[in-house]
Amino acid sequence: MSLLQEEREIILSNEYVDNFDFAEVEEFVRNASKDLFISHHFKTKTKMLVQPRGGFPTYKKQFALNEFFVNANVDVLPLTIDSNTRLNDYATAKKMLRLSEENDVDMLNGYPLVNHGYRTTRKMITHFNKPVSLRHGTPDARLLIETAIASGIFEIEGGPITYLLPYSKNFPLDKAFLYWKYVEKICANYSRLNEPINRESFGPLTATLVPPAITITIQLLEMLLSLEEGVKSFSVSFSQTGSMNQDIVMGAVIRKLSAHYAKEIGCEDASIHLVYHQWMGAFPTNKSFAEQLINMSTVIASMVGADKIITKTREEASGIPTKEANAATVANTQYTLGILNGLPKIVDEEEEEILTLEVHAIMEAVFNDPADTLWRKVFNSIKSGIIDVPFSPHIINHNEMITIRDAKKNIRIIKRGNVPIPDRCYEYEKAQCDLSKDTTSIVNDIIHDIGIMQ
Amino acid sequence: MKVVTGVVGNDIHVVANRLIELSLNARGFEVFNLGVNTYLEEFFDAVVETGAEVLLISSLNGEAEGWSREIKLLKASYKNLDNLVMMIGGNLVVGSGDADEIVPKYKNYGFDLVFHQVDLNTGLDTLEEYLKQRGMR
Repeated sequence: MSLLQEEREIILSNEYVDNFDFAEVEEFVRNASKDLFISHHFKTKTKMLVQPRGGFPTYKKQFALNEFFVNANVDVLPLTIDSNTRLNDYATAKKMLRLSEENDVDMLNGYPLVNHGYRTTRKMITHFNKPVSLRHGTPDARLLIETAIASGIFEIEGGPITYLLPYSKNFPLDKAFLYWKYVEKICANYSRLNEPINRESFGPLTATLVPPAITITIQLLEMLLSLEEGVKSFSVSFSQTGSMNQDIVMGAVIRKLSAHYAKEIGCEDASIHLVYHQWMGAFPTNKSFAEQLINMSTVIASMVGADKIITKTREEASGIPTKEANAATVANTQYTLGILNGLPKIVDEEEEEILTLEVHAIMEAVFNDPADTLWRKVFNSIKSGIIDVPFSPHIINHNEMITIRDAKKNIRIIKRGNVPIPDRCYEYEKAQCDLSKDTTSIVNDIIHDIGIMQ
Repeated sequence: MKVVTGVVGNDIHVVANRLIELSLNARGFEVFNLGVNTYLEEFFDAVVETGAEVLLISSLNGEAEGWSREIKLLKASYKNLDNLVMMIGGNLVVGSGDADEIVPKYKNYGFDLVFHQVDLNTGLDTLEEYLKQRGMR
């Protein structure tokens, strides 16, 4: 028996798991409708794909949410997983699912996919015949992904870095790399049967003043970790920064560099896509203002030239949105995309050059780590602070880098810590900011810069 | 002067925690930041280990209220913590509450300085003033 098969059997020996019939699952994937594969839609699309967020505990409510989305002309359906399942606590998820079913009150913040099982969930997914994107936040997603693909979910979000550093204080990062390696292999294997399974990285990270160089580096590294296991379709992503120019520069650089680094490892046959997240920071409580912000995000996504946009709702500041509000955003976003014509092309060569130099320098430092495999190089680089994510709660993160906004609201690095930002770029970043202030007023500026949209 | 700080309980809200660390450093304190998701025992263990004179606990989701009830009992099980300056700040109740009621309640739990929804720099100014009055700075 292969090591992968052995690992698979260990994962499946769990009382909450469906009785997997892998021969049947393979047949299902082989014959599945092309419409279920987002990778197929990326090939044939003529406009930016629109995908909301959303997940409810019961089958019934999830089905109703999907109906609303389809009526609002959605392109990609989401399936957001509850937080117990994300922590592999299937027993609690089961209990809370039953309570939700019996009392008509939602006791979970998402859909407990493992407890529902693939046979049930597949009925819903094939019924709507739209591509579904799995949204979770799970460090050990092995069982979840087996269940998802068997259900007909052919886009898997996440990664060992982007699903750990923003969400956890002490889940071991090295374990996360190994668990995600399994996920990549499974996605690669199923990709041979039909259209490819798409993997998507989670670019927003902490959504709190993360500088473009860090976001892009992490996107590229998760892309490489995925491609080297045989994944053929991958989406890099980032969220609205607060400066339209910075978003456009970021979009240009991430496109250029993802193609460059995929080629470096001989994976230029993989197709790489760009996903844009509408504003991921704190939202205004005023719902009309929230709608204006969402609309502006859509305009910027068009300027960036994203292949897919992931939406927010007017109820973002007040909790989990209703299906009505959620579907309204989808319809509004489609409307805005439909009337946005004749966009100008904006290129900022100086900013692009600075950002490209920064990313190359960090990537080079990661590759120069003496470890024998890429994941170990990345692990060591995070440990030593070569990669440093502002406002990560994880104990392994260095927290030495400090960022603020300049007068044009671009995110700038004013303290680089151990991140190898080249001197010339570092001087440029600092020169955009007023650094004559004392630390107390800089802290006040940071507080203001985080809550810029409120 | 050494300060131990962190966010109490299962609270993972990290932004203010980083800003507290930055601000304390800027004011010349030596900071031992335990980060988010920290239990009471870990705070007191760190105070003993570092010899800190100030413990600054923060909370955003309001679960500090539940934890703080156990402070006196737990603190009594450690030796030599009688002179420790105890400060708490953030959002100190789940839902909404009145500072006039919250502050005395937390003082009763054993805190010297209590800040419910007070601006960070105001809180730290008050801490420095308090340390001066006690002849510690």
